[in-house]
Amino acid sequence: MLFNSYEFIFVFLPLSFFVYFYLNHKRLTIASKGWLVFSSLFFYSWWNIVYLPLILVSVLFNFTIAKTIVGSIDFKNKYLSKKSLLKIGLVFNIGLLVYFKYMDFFISNINTAFGSDMGLLYLALPLAISFFTLQQIAFLIDSYEGLAKEKLFLDYAVFVTFFPQLIAGPIVHHKEMMPQFASVKNKVKNYNNIALGLFIFSIGLFKKVVIADTFAIWATAGFDTAITLNLLEAWATSISYTFQLYFDFSGYTDMAIGAALLFNIKLPINFNSPFKATGIIDFWQRWHITLTSFITAYIYTPLVKSFKNLSIHKAMVATLITFLIAGLWHGASWMFVIFGGLHGIALVVNNYWKKSKLKINKILAWFITFNFVNIAFIFFRAKEWSDAIKVLGSMFSLDNIVLPDRLEYKLSFLSSFGIEFGTWAEEISGSNWTAIWIIIGFTLVLIFNNSIQRINNFQFNYRTVSLTGFAFIFSILSLGKASEFLYFNF
Amino acid sequence: MNKNEVFCIVQNTFKNIFNDNDMVVTYSTNSDELENWDSLNHIKLMSAIEKEFNIKFALGELIELKNVEAIVNLIINEKLE
Repeated sequence: MLFNSYEFIFVFLPLSFFVYFYLNHKRLTIASKGWLVFSSLFFYSWWNIVYLPLILVSVLFNFTIAKTIVGSIDFKNKYLSKKSLLKIGLVFNIGLLVYFKYMDFFISNINTAFGSDMGLLYLALPLAISFFTLQQIAFLIDSYEGLAKEKLFLDYAVFVTFFPQLIAGPIVHHKEMMPQFASVKNKVKNYNNIALGLFIFSIGLFKKVVIADTFAIWATAGFDTAITLNLLEAWATSISYTFQLYFDFSGYTDMAIGAALLFNIKLPINFNSPFKATGIIDFWQRWHITLTSFITAYIYTPLVKSFKNLSIHKAMVATLITFLIAGLWHGASWMFVIFGGLHGIALVVNNYWKKSKLKINKILAWFITFNFVNIAFIFFRAKEWSDAIKVLGSMFSLDNIVLPDRLEYKLSFLSSFGIEFGTWAEEISGSNWTAIWIIIGFTLVLIFNNSIQRINNFQFNYRTVSLTGFAFIFSILSLGKASEFLYFNF
Repeated sequence: MNKNEVFCIVQNTFKNIFNDNDMVVTYSTNSDELENWDSLNHIKLMSAIEKEFNIKFALGELIELKNVEAIVNLIINEKLE
């Protein structure tokens, strides 16, 4: 079920909310947790019930392994050490991900490399597998290191399947979630959280339905339909995608945070004005923050620690490896490896630059960062190398320049340099509105407060009520063409 | 070991890792304000503190220890019990 659908907003969310608090009100705590798991699995199965057994097996297996690791099941001392159990758990989770997400990618690469003809499996990517796998890997490691201990299967099932964060994060940790679910105070409706939740949910809905889906028109046409692009179309395509991805994913996250707040659960921050970043290190502290934390804690740190005699050069090797893995985590394609590699290299450059103590003008630093991020996202979006080159090549080619015809009167002398005047955004199904939207996009991401700042400064007053109402109603009216979130494919 | 003793050892570890005997370390010192407190130095710092106190931080803890107060509190409350 999509957050941006009538059935979620008007049926599923109110029903799950009222029944949950009714059961809690009647002091039926176990039933209320059971209801939360049931509704979350219903929410998950709405797309495709075929993968319901998969998530159930994954949850059950990880719970059993973790319980054995922490010693609640008297099995490990007899047969297996704690470390072997952790390894089994990790192999299971990574194996599941590799099988469902990367198998065809590996087969087709082997076929290409060795000229073999192995058949592909054509498995559909099970929804949310990338996210619930990461969350459970972190849980297993935390259990192994004594940070997490879960005795009850129902509590564990709530932790993994809680529907606001199930599909695409934010990636949560057991120790930040379970005390919230256990708190007696949180089992009672909290009108402040409801107001705040509806406010942030409506902002997220607006970001997705009104802003991201508008930029999607030009990004999709530019990447998927257009055969050639002129200079302005190519830039509009790439910037439209960059904005689409941000408003889509941060909009989804806002909706997740808002929906969770209705249940008195605070999810972690995932975005903090990433396009205000003045360096790539800064960017990753603002973009998909819970993923950055995960890869820093569970990939980068053990890698660095495995090196003897730490040095910056070794740390940079670890950074590059970490980002290649993070790139590939997004999807089974070389384009994601290139995306991860580009960001890894940029982080290395940024780190050495920092060490050199050379100063750089802040605006220039922002300009370089934004353009790098925008160009790297071309590889993130492109299905194939040729798509990426089509957009990237046209962004830096002076052979095909078309300017808006209204400029012809003033700039007609440019015609002698081969520059044409006409409909400049035809290939991307755009118009002058595209340029206006891009300016609006820059204004929103660079000048306005982000959702997290808005949550922190939230006051229940006439202004916030009107803003919520406007965002909600405007979005609902645009809902007819509900589209999936980009991160659902990762 | 009391909080102040732990703080003094942590303070000295900072000075050693950052190679700066004059640096001022307070409870509120954090990774946002201290430019050299990057991800590599964080690991170096934490490994040195682990050695000093003969303790071990979990991977899931390291990421949260971004200010001196959090480090001292975790050592006192969890690790030296």
